[in-house]
Amino acid sequence: MTWTCDQIEARLSDYLEGLLPAADATEFERHVKDCPDCAPLVASVKRVVGEMRSMESLEAPPGLIYKILDQTLGRREQVTGWQGLWNFVRGLGTPKFAYGAASVMATCFIVLSASGLSLRKPKLADLHPASVYRNVDRQAHLAYARSVKYVSDLRVVYEIQSRLRQDENQLQVAPEEHAPNGTTEKKPGQGDDQTHAQPNQQNRANELARQVQLLAAECPLMLERSLR
Amino acid sequence: MRRHTRRVYSVCYRFVGNRTEAEDISQEVFLRVYRTLASYRSAHGGFATWMTSVTRNLLIDHYRRTKRDRLTDSLDDAMPVVESKESSARRPDQQALLGELGGQVQSALTRLSPELREAVILRDLQQLEYAEIRQVLGVPEGTVKSRINRGRIELARILQQMGVRPS
Repeated sequence: MTWTCDQIEARLSDYLEGLLPAADATEFERHVKDCPDCAPLVASVKRVVGEMRSMESLEAPPGLIYKILDQTLGRREQVTGWQGLWNFVRGLGTPKFAYGAASVMATCFIVLSASGLSLRKPKLADLHPASVYRNVDRQAHLAYARSVKYVSDLRVVYEIQSRLRQDENQLQVAPEEHAPNGTTEKKPGQGDDQTHAQPNQQNRANELARQVQLLAAECPLMLERSLR
Repeated sequence: MRRHTRRVYSVCYRFVGNRTEAEDISQEVFLRVYRTLASYRSAHGGFATWMTSVTRNLLIDHYRRTKRDRLTDSLDDAMPVVESKESSARRPDQQALLGELGGQVQSALTRLSPELREAVILRDLQQLEYAEIRQVLGVPEGTVKSRINRGRIELARILQQMGVRPS
């Protein structure tokens, strides 16, 4: 079937939107290829459609929404003078504002403390950039040293505790190991096991005391805390 | 709210080609929607489609209201078209005023008949489906397709008259 120019025009959008069957699309393209009138028309329409599809949705003017709200929900009340001031003051008493103000104050306090500013005796010289930098640097080093010391102390305490626990376990296990032997496997001529266990326990207790003394020599303060 | 405002304003501006009028009609649309919200039924389509339908009705009303003004000005309107046809290559300043192809398309859109214009705007600018356009315009789908096709061809011809050639 040979297509006419009128048919091309009538089916142009179907062709552009891919709604034509394959055979019809082939005939369409064959006609357009050889027709001096239809070729520029198809090219123009294709370009216009492509341009419109790529055009972005327009932004509404900024005041349009408020105009619409005024028209539909009514004009907002314009509060001025003392009433406006009272509304502002009343707004300061809301929990939301109080929470925000407290957060800001806490943040300021932390920042000022970190920068080394004395709130009891504030000096103008403390606000000098070099002095602020020096204070912040000093505070940072102090904080770092404290944290390192704290971690080190904790390590010593845990070490002492673990050693004490280990020795307590050994002291508890030792009698259990000897008790069954004494009751079930009593060999003729063998004496009581307790007579042999006592020197072992004494040795372990001595060893424990020696270790504790050694650690106490390293860190007497920590020993004091651990004993408490 | 912002999304609906943007869409309604966009349709209005594309149809009338004038910011102030588009803004006024957009306000009218929301006022109408606010007053007739009770008559909206979800069975008749989505809220956006219903709102587009209200917009379209108000645009047509506006077109009819201002028809007399346009007839008065028709002689003045015809002059630049003839001029641009004859001397578009000699007037680069006018071409610059028209802006890029988007601006020329907008200008050409306002010269289409309202039936073709609304169909092309809804399909190619708002990118609605045929079924949605059928609901908005209240005509059969075959008519919708026919109007879109004729609108596109007419638009391409107007652009050719304005001196825009296919690349």
